[in-house]
Amino acid sequence: MAEAQTKAQPSPKQYVQIAVLLAILTAVEVALYYIEQAGVSGRIVYPTLIILAILKFIIVVAFYMHIRYEKGIIARFFTVGFFGALMLYTVVLGTFGVLTAMSG
Amino acid sequence: MASAASPTSTIFRRPKQTSGWMSWITTVDHKKIGIMYGYSAFFFFILGGLEALILRLQLAGPDGTVLDAAEYNAMFTMHGTTMVFLFVMPVGAAFFNYLLPLMIGARDVAFPRMNALSFWIFIFGGIFLYSSFLFGTTGPPSGGNLPGGATDASWLGSTINGGWFMYQPNAGPRFSTGTVLDYGAIGLQILGLASLISAVNFIATILNMRAKGMKLLRMPVFIWMTLVVAFLLLFSLPIIAVALFMVTFDRQLGTLFFDTFQGGDAILWQHLFWLFGHPEVYILILPAMGIVSETLPVFSRKPLFGYPAVVFAGAAIGFLGFGVWAHHMFSSGITPVAQAAFGLATMTIAVPTGIKIFNWLGTMWMGKIKFTTPMLFSLGFVALFVIGGLSGVTHSIVPADWQQTDTYYIVAHFHYVLFGGAIFGIFAGLYYWFPKLTGRMMSEKLGKLHFWLMFIGMNLTFGPMHWLGLQGMVRRTWKYPAEYNFGTWNMVVTVGAFIIASSILIFMVNWTKSKRRGVEAGMDPWDARTIEWSIPNPTPEWNFGVSPDVQSLDDWWHRKYDEDEDGRPVRRPDADSTIAQFHDQGVNPPAPIHLPTPSYFPFFAGASFLAVGYGVIYHTRGWGLPLLIFGVILLLSSLIGWSLEPLEEEHEEVHA
Amino acid sequence: MSDVAHEEHVHESTGVETRKLAMWVFLSSEFMFFGALITNYLLFKGRVGYTAPYPAEIFDIPFTSVSSFVLLMSSLTMVLADHAIHRDDQRSTRTWLIATALLGMVFLAGQAFEFTTFVVDEGMKISTNPAASAFFTLTGFHGTHVLVGVIMLLTLIGISFRKGRLSTATGLNLENVALYWHFVDIIWIVIFTVVYLIK
Ligand code: HEM
Ligand SMILES: [Cu+2]
Repeated sequence: MAEAQTKAQPSPKQYVQIAVLLAILTAVEVALYYIEQAGVSGRIVYPTLIILAILKFIIVVAFYMHIRYEKGIIARFFTVGFFGALMLYTVVLGTFGVLTAMSG
Repeated sequence: MASAASPTSTIFRRPKQTSGWMSWITTVDHKKIGIMYGYSAFFFFILGGLEALILRLQLAGPDGTVLDAAEYNAMFTMHGTTMVFLFVMPVGAAFFNYLLPLMIGARDVAFPRMNALSFWIFIFGGIFLYSSFLFGTTGPPSGGNLPGGATDASWLGSTINGGWFMYQPNAGPRFSTGTVLDYGAIGLQILGLASLISAVNFIATILNMRAKGMKLLRMPVFIWMTLVVAFLLLFSLPIIAVALFMVTFDRQLGTLFFDTFQGGDAILWQHLFWLFGHPEVYILILPAMGIVSETLPVFSRKPLFGYPAVVFAGAAIGFLGFGVWAHHMFSSGITPVAQAAFGLATMTIAVPTGIKIFNWLGTMWMGKIKFTTPMLFSLGFVALFVIGGLSGVTHSIVPADWQQTDTYYIVAHFHYVLFGGAIFGIFAGLYYWFPKLTGRMMSEKLGKLHFWLMFIGMNLTFGPMHWLGLQGMVRRTWKYPAEYNFGTWNMVVTVGAFIIASSILIFMVNWTKSKRRGVEAGMDPWDARTIEWSIPNPTPEWNFGVSPDVQSLDDWWHRKYDEDEDGRPVRRPDADSTIAQFHDQGVNPPAPIHLPTPSYFPFFAGASFLAVGYGVIYHTRGWGLPLLIFGVILLLSSLIGWSLEPLEEEHEEVHA
Repeated sequence: MSDVAHEEHVHESTGVETRKLAMWVFLSSEFMFFGALITNYLLFKGRVGYTAPYPAEIFDIPFTSVSSFVLLMSSLTMVLADHAIHRDDQRSTRTWLIATALLGMVFLAGQAFEFTTFVVDEGMKISTNPAASAFFTLTGFHGTHVLVGVIMLLTLIGISFRKGRLSTATGLNLENVALYWHFVDIIWIVIFTVVYLIK
C-alpha cells in the first residue's frame, strides 16, 4: 500500500517539528484572544484568527493525513466536501442576515 | 471445498449456509441483497398504495366520512414517507445492488458486509417506522385539541402525522405531544444511515472495482446515474441527519432549536430540510433516468444519442440540485433577493433536464423501435416526466408559485415527476431485467395491459389535480364542501387511483406467474448492448465466469454487430458463436472463483437500531434506558466482532 | 481472454486502496454534518434576550486551550503510530496507539468537566436557550466522534496485544482510524476558533 504514495513522507522528526509549529500557532491564537479582550478591534483580530485556523487545518490535512502524498482524486473529494459545505451554509446564514450582522 | 483452514478463525467462524432462511440473513451476495431490497420495497409500495386509496376514498366526494381529520393527517404523511423513503429509494438500491457489479464487470460491491448492513438497517428502520401504528400516540397539543376537535386519534390516526417534511414547530414538542413524531424523526434517521452507508459503498465500488478496460466514459449511463445518486446521498444525508437530531433533541431533551416562543427558528428547519429535500428528489428520479437510458437504445436498436452529454447533464443536475432548495420556501418570507436568485437557479436546472430529454428523443429518432413492455414504460416515462418538468418550471416563477404552493397543483407536479417519472422508469427496469433475475420472460400480454391501465389511470388521477389546484383546492385538505364544486374532478381522480391499483395487481400476477412458468429467456433475450447480458440468465452465483475485458462503450453490442457505411448495424457472422462462448464460460468458469463469505454481524448490527430507537423514545420509562444501553452494546459488539472477523476468509472458493 | 489471471488489479481502478478511498469519501460528507451544527451555533449565538447565561459568557478559554492542545498532540502520536506500522515496527505502533487513546480520553474527560461546570455551576443547561442547545449539540457530537475514535483505537490495541501484531488486512485498519482521528482534530481546530475564540 505504501508503494501507491509517490513522494517520500515526512520522518518522525519532521512530524514532531510540525507539531511544534501547530502548538505555536495555537498559542498565538490564544494570545490573540486576550489581545482582543484588552481592547484591540475584532476587525483585526478575527480575520487573523480565521487565517491561523485555516493554516492549522491545512497543515494537518497535508502532512498528518498525507493528502500531499496521495493521488489527486482524494484531494478533490475533500475540497468538494469542504467548499460545498462552506458555500451552502454561507448562503443559509446569509438569508438569515447573520453575516451582515457579524461584519457590521 | 475451502482451501487450507484459516488459522485466524478460532473465535469468529463465518456462517456457511447457502440455502434456506439462514442464507438470506447472513448473505453478503449483492444479488441476494438486491432481491431482498426489491421485495421489501415492493411490500412497502403496497402499503403506501393502500394508504393512498384510503385518502382517495375520503376525497371521492364532498364531505367525506371515511376518515377524520387526524386520520387524514396520518394517512397522507405515512403515504408520502413510505413512497419516498421506503419504496422509491430502496427500490433504487435494489437496482443498484443487483446491477452495479454486473454492469461494471465486478464480482461484488467493494464492501459486501457493509452492503448487507445497509439492507438490514433499512429493514429495521422500516419496521420501526411502521410500528408507530401499534405503539405511537398523538395526544392533543398543549392547550388545544387535535384537528376536528378530537382529543386522541384512532389507531389509524396514531402514526406519524406531520407531513413528510415535518415542518417545525408544528412537529415539535409543543404542538405534537404524543410519540408518533419521535417515531418519524428517529425512523428517518435510521433509514438515512442505511442510505449513507450504501452511498459510500457504491462510490468506492464504481471508482475502484471496474473490470479491465471499463473506463469511466465506457460505463453504462445507469452506472453514471448511480454514481451521481450516491454523491447526492453522501452530501445531503448528513444535513437531514443534523436536522432530525435537532427535532429529536427538541422533543426528548428540551433543546429549543425550533421553539419559536423561546428564540428557536422555524425557517432554519425549512432550510435544513430542503437542503436535503431537493437533492432527494433527484435521488428519486436519477435511477429512473439511468434505466431508460439503457432501455431506449436497446429497443431503438441505436446507440444512446450523445452519451457524453447525457452523462454530463446527469452530473450537472446533481450539482445544480444543491443550489435550488429555497424554491420550496418562496412563501416563507425569505428576502426578495433570495427569491429571485433561487427562482433563476431553479430555471437553470431545466437546461440539463432538457438536454437529457432531447438525447432520449434523438436516440429514438430513425430507430427501429420495438414496442416491448419495457419500451412502453420508458416512453411513458419520457412523456409524463416532461409534463411534470414543465409544471416544475412554472413553480420557479415566484409570483406564480405563490398561487400554486400548497395547492393540488403542486401535488400534480410531484406526482407527474415521481409516479410518471420514477415509478414508470422503475417498471421499465423491472420488465427489462426480469430475465436477468429469473431466466424467464414476463408475459408481454399482461405487461402491455399493465402499462395501458397504469398510463390511463395515472393521467386520470394526477391530470385533474392541476385544475383542482388552480381552482383553489388546498393541498392536505381532509374534506371540502359541495359548494366548492370540486366533487366531479375528485371523483375522476379517485376512479383513476383504483385503475392504477388494478394495474398493479396485474403486474403482481404477471410477476408470480412468469417467475414459475414464463418463457425461458436464454442468453441475451433483448439483443442488448451492455455486459450484464454477456452472462447466462439467471445470473450465476459468481457473476462472470471470466472477468470481462471491456473494449468499448456498449461492449457487448460491438461483439455482436458491425456497422455498414450508413452506420446501420450489421450482425457479425460470428455473433452466435460469441454468444455461445460467453454462455459456456459463464456456466463453467475455467478457473476457481473467490466469493465473499457470509456474516452474521450485519444482521445484528442492523437489529440493534430497533433497540436504540425504542430506547430513545421511552428513555424516561423504567425499561427505556436499559433498552437503549442494550442496543448500543449490541451495536458496538457486532461492529467489533465484525472487524475481528477474519478478512482472509472473506474469500471462499467455488467450483462449478 | 483467459490471461486475466490476476484479479487483484481489478480492485483498484483509481490506484487508491479501496478502504482508504471509502474513508475519504465518508469524511468529505462529514463536512456537511459539522457544517450544519456550526451554522446552528452561529445563527443562535446572536439571539439574546432569552434565559441567560449564554455559552459565550461562560467559556473558560485557558481550560479549553489546554484541551485543544491535548487533541492536537494526539494527532502527532497518531501519525507516529501510522508511521511505525508502515515500517512494521509493532512495538512503537502499540506505544503510540496507547498514547493517542490516552490523549483522546483526556480530551473527553476535559469535555465532561466543562459540561459539568456549565450545567452545575453556571446553570446553563441544554434547554436554557437556543444558543446553549446549539453549543451542547455541536460540541457533544464532536465529543461523540472522539469517543468513537477512542473505541476504535482501543480495539486496535486489543488486537495488537492479542495477536502480537497488527496487520493491515483486518477490516478495521490503522491507516483509516488515523485518517478519522486527524479529521476529528481538524474539526476541533475550526470549532475552537469559530465557537470559542471569536465572539
Ligand atoms: C425541471 C425540473 C423541476 C423543477 C423546475 C421543479 C420545481 C419545483 C418547485 C419550484 C417546487 C416547489 C413548489 C412549492 O411547494 O411551492 C417543487 C416541488 C416538488 N418537486 Fe419539483 N421540480 C422539478 C423536478 C422534480 C423532480 C424530478 C422531482 C422528483 C422526482 C420533483 C419532486 C418534487 C416534490 C416531491 C415537490 C413537493 C415537495 C413538497 O412540498 O412536498 N420535482 N418542484
Ligand atoms: Cu425542489
